[in-house]
Amino acid sequence: MTNHWIDIKNSDCILIMGSNAAENHPVSFKYVTEAQKKGAALISVDPRFTRTSSKADIYAPLRSGTDIAFLGGMIKYILDSGQFNKEYVAAYTNAPFLVNEGFGFKDGVFSGFQETPKGPALGKYDKKSWAFQMDEKGVPKMDRSLEDPHCVFQLLKKHFSRYDTDTVSQVTGTPKASLEEIYRTYAATGATGKAGTIMYAMGWTQHTHGTQNIRTMAIIQLLLGNMGVAGGGVNALRGESNVQGSTDHCLLWHIWPGYLATPSTKWPKLADYLQRRAKSNDPLSANWWQNEPKYMVSTLKSFFGDAATAENDFGYDWVPKVDAGTAYSWLDIFDAMYDGKIKGFFSWGQNPACSGSNAGKNREAMKNLDWMVNVNLFDNETGSFWKGPGMKPWEIQTEVFFLPAAVSVEKEGSITNSGRWMQWRYQGPKPLGNCRPDGDMILELGDRIKALYEKEGGVHPEPIIHLKWDYTTGGAYDPHKVAKEINGYFLRDVTVKGKTYKKGTLVPSFAFLQADGSTSSGNWLYCNSYTEKGNMAARRSQQDASNGIGIYPEFAWCWPVNRRIIYNRASVDLKGQPWDKDDWVIRWNGSKWEGDVPDGGWPPLESLTNPNPKSKYPFIMHVHGHGQIFGPGRSDGPFPEHYEPLECPVEKNLLNPRMVSPTAAVYSGKADMFATCDPRFPYVGTTYRVSEHWQTGLMTRYQPWLLELQPQVFVEMSEELAQLKGVSNGERVKVSSARGSLEATAIVTKRFKPFRIEGSVVHQVGLPWHFGWRWPASGTEKSANLLTPSAGDPNTRIPETKAFMVNVAKL
Amino acid sequence: MNVNRREFIQITGAAAAGIAVSGLGFDLGPVRAHAQMLKTRYAKETTTICPYCAVGCGAIVHTSQKGDGRVINIEGDPDHVINRGSLCSKGASLSQLVENSRRVTEPLYRAPGASDWKPVSWDWALSEIAKRVQVTRDANFDKTNAKGEMVNRTTAIASVGSAALDNEECWVYQALLRSLGLVYIEHQARI
Amino acid sequence: MTKAFFIDTTVCTGCRGCQVACKQWHDLPAEETENRGSYQNPSDLSAMTYKLVRMREEEIDGKLRWLFFPDQCRHCLDAPCKGTAMYEEAIYQEPATGAILYTMATRELNAQEIIDSCPYNIPRKGPDGVLAKCDMCIDRVINGQLPACVKTCPTGAMNFGDREEMLQLADRRLGEARKKFPKASLLDPDEVSVIYLVAYDRSHYEVAARARTPEGLTRQAALRKMISPLTRSVAHIG
Repeated sequence: MTNHWIDIKNSDCILIMGSNAAENHPVSFKYVTEAQKKGAALISVDPRFTRTSSKADIYAPLRSGTDIAFLGGMIKYILDSGQFNKEYVAAYTNAPFLVNEGFGFKDGVFSGFQETPKGPALGKYDKKSWAFQMDEKGVPKMDRSLEDPHCVFQLLKKHFSRYDTDTVSQVTGTPKASLEEIYRTYAATGATGKAGTIMYAMGWTQHTHGTQNIRTMAIIQLLLGNMGVAGGGVNALRGESNVQGSTDHCLLWHIWPGYLATPSTKWPKLADYLQRRAKSNDPLSANWWQNEPKYMVSTLKSFFGDAATAENDFGYDWVPKVDAGTAYSWLDIFDAMYDGKIKGFFSWGQNPACSGSNAGKNREAMKNLDWMVNVNLFDNETGSFWKGPGMKPWEIQTEVFFLPAAVSVEKEGSITNSGRWMQWRYQGPKPLGNCRPDGDMILELGDRIKALYEKEGGVHPEPIIHLKWDYTTGGAYDPHKVAKEINGYFLRDVTVKGKTYKKGTLVPSFAFLQADGSTSSGNWLYCNSYTEKGNMAARRSQQDASNGIGIYPEFAWCWPVNRRIIYNRASVDLKGQPWDKDDWVIRWNGSKWEGDVPDGGWPPLESLTNPNPKSKYPFIMHVHGHGQIFGPGRSDGPFPEHYEPLECPVEKNLLNPRMVSPTAAVYSGKADMFATCDPRFPYVGTTYRVSEHWQTGLMTRYQPWLLELQPQVFVEMSEELAQLKGVSNGERVKVSSARGSLEATAIVTKRFKPFRIEGSVVHQVGLPWHFGWRWPASGTEKSANLLTPSAGDPNTRIPETKAFMVNVAKL
Repeated sequence: MNVNRREFIQITGAAAAGIAVSGLGFDLGPVRAHAQMLKTRYAKETTTICPYCAVGCGAIVHTSQKGDGRVINIEGDPDHVINRGSLCSKGASLSQLVENSRRVTEPLYRAPGASDWKPVSWDWALSEIAKRVQVTRDANFDKTNAKGEMVNRTTAIASVGSAALDNEECWVYQALLRSLGLVYIEHQARI
Repeated sequence: MTKAFFIDTTVCTGCRGCQVACKQWHDLPAEETENRGSYQNPSDLSAMTYKLVRMREEEIDGKLRWLFFPDQCRHCLDAPCKGTAMYEEAIYQEPATGAILYTMATRELNAQEIIDSCPYNIPRKGPDGVLAKCDMCIDRVINGQLPACVKTCPTGAMNFGDREEMLQLADRRLGEARKKFPKASLLDPDEVSVIYLVAYDRSHYEVAARARTPEGLTRQAALRKMISPLTRSVAHIG
């Protein structure tokens, strides 16, 4: 979230689309309700009428996988009606930037497209033509009047001119009147002082065009001036208690702690890595990522301690490099495992036998492992895959170790919520039986591996032997020691701006980090979280901001540097005065900023024609300092475009001649079956969650109180489809896709209605993915992810589990 | 330490002893006397953050200070500025996640071809895992790739997980995996 | 001053935190349920389930509505069950709060008679013969805490406090709700300590809310003839 949970109460219009917040983030509705009581409109857009929809002022259905068409229509509406915030757009976004004249969009692809003969990516773009035109100083050329035919604003207008409400309605199945009502209501937040917010989640990410779903909304938010303000922002409702923190610390192949790039063959030496970031020649652009060398070197110092020296490039050569241009994502892991290329596997606090798309493939893949380590609270479908339905244990040679973990309340440490708040938790009871906190397991496993290499040598032992691993107190894992390492230390006496910081003291914030090895920081983004002033995440002050916008600056701690609303320098005009005089976030008092921690303390711009040379543009993380309406960094296009899901019910894309995203990642092994426009699988399928369970159900299926509320897997369908199939409410049915099938209880409901798509009736069904065969023990398949495809987004490779094709049959 | 609202209520609450309410029916004596004792009265109180979705609601854990020292109650933390004491059905069931007879409480091992688990010691399990890591890694370690570029990695071991770990655990885990040369490192954020 | 609940169903999201919090605090076991084609589970109140969010899908004035109704004992001001039992050791009204409390001695009562006397069909007989229902979390309330269901409610649907304060809140919320829902009303505020605000005609809600006899006359109305309800002096809308 660029904003945070409490901030939702400041909104004038809340769009919940691609998420079902009332069910999956129930406490968020404390603030949705508060906003509604103050007059905010709540809009719910979902293929199915949900508990969120039940509280909405406006509900509209849309067919799964057509969000870009829906939102593209909104962009066109905003531009045609002139309701965009012109002052904001011209000053703070890249709408005035001129793009190379070679840029274009034709036959469903952007300029520079090439098919790739070898998958999984279907094709790729040469992005040269997407670049900005530069002036003689190397600064992007701009037309702040937004009239130049090559400026981003005009290109945007042209691109979305095809997205008229008639066409959009044909694609999405949303009634035209609903589209118009929603466009009108949301576009009203373009007025100065008004704020609209978006609450989205996996309903937008889990598509072969997931990134572009979010891009489309980001463009809307920029056009309406909703970024940086209270009650605005682009808000991803993250689904797990610490998925924000685990992402920040980068348990992901493509990034290192704090979103640093993973070392790659593209940057063979540290010097290459440290020079990799694009430079800006514009003195008004902070281009924050130019600080990356300080963060990377400080990270390597945290990894290897004293063994990381300037002479050995701080151990850069020791760490693994990925091949440039190759992905090592979730789908790639199970593809490689299926092909027998992976021998050892850690499934640590996760259940891929149920959580992974095309779960049947994942389970088959696990048979090829020599060994697996499964860490969890309960036995799960992954650890016991070898005795699941259809498995022959005697033929499966995989050794499996199950390590029982402590529950969160049995240990101490911090987690980071969706609003980026890092919060400290304390130990209540001791771990049950012989369960152990994950931290103890990790440290002890590390100790044993280190001991083996210290004793026996082995291949490339340096990084293992030199890994700094002094995080115990009295023989037990000490989360405070790690939290301090993550924050970082001065490793020798360092003088910054005239003040000397002694060796061994904690670094006050990332502005003090150095690229010469004199500081460490396990994660620069968390530098400032645990300082000489103490553990910031443990703070509990009830004091709010003076205008009561719910910032609570000394309750817990928030990255970066306790800034509660990101890009808050866009919440003020050029003079530094807030667009919204009541719910202001920061304001310039003539000599300094008041309110939230600003995105840099530079003074206001004052004017665009004669800016204060000491000022900076507000979008400091972008090279040129402007919000990106045009996003040339994406692999599937600088503007969003509607493409159908890989499996879809229509034979034609009404918006362009391409069916599927031209750069989607589509796997093509024996277990990767797809069926589009196939009479065997005539209905759109989707997956979701319910309030009473969580993820694959490992932490909810075992609680009788929750199982009582939602005892088994179900499939929801319209009364019309039920009649067509002769299914009555509560009856057991079989749901199948090209990849697998399961039995489920039919919930026949008015909450699903057939769609009218391109003149035909299209039915959609949906299932929760919380269930599995292991518990409650029935011996039968219950996982909805047996149905979902192994295809993913071109940028993220997040699988397309929100739109696929199925059949439903009476048992 | 400032007395917050929750503590204030506790301090000013009835101090007399009585019989705690059980599930089905109860004794009128203490009710009439307004001398009912809360089941949480003598418990240790710790604050926590709910482990389910990412709203980050605060909860109070009541742990018995006698006997087995287990959790007797978990409810919303009224002084938490986000949830102000509220919890959804999942959060409200947290005590049943902790105190659950189906939790596995010993390390388990499944041998090749075996049809069931057997309990093993931590010492054995961790030593054996460490050995497997070394053997698989060393037999499948690439100092260079097909193009001859230095890569110093193994693609024969993969890790998934976890958003269920604390921040500090995530950090040490990724450091360990990267020191071993893993590049197949993924977790819930990808799916 | 007795206590009252105010339950604003117009902001209830059906998250069912209240249903679980009730079981958690009272250490009540779960029931074995099955999906019967609805999210609502268990299907009804029981001696193990004092609080149940009833769910109903209705098309009202051409629009689909999903109605949530957190059902529980109303703690009637003049409770028919208590009047029927006439045995204070079994059914007791705690004077300071107005809570209607069932004890182990309900075993000695004619259970069916007590159940039949309830205008809202709330009490349930357990396997041991004891009658059970919501106890207003009397232990918590006496100790200055909110009932478990109220405390856990995220949206402010569940409220609890002094009766007058709750009546004022109910009146204010009714006024606000009527701007969106012209037919919104408070259910039986003069008779009960658990006052519901509903958005549509009460006939749209679950059977418990409308409390009808087989004859079509509301059980409430039928009972009103038999018992003399307390009246209150505070004016309120609806």
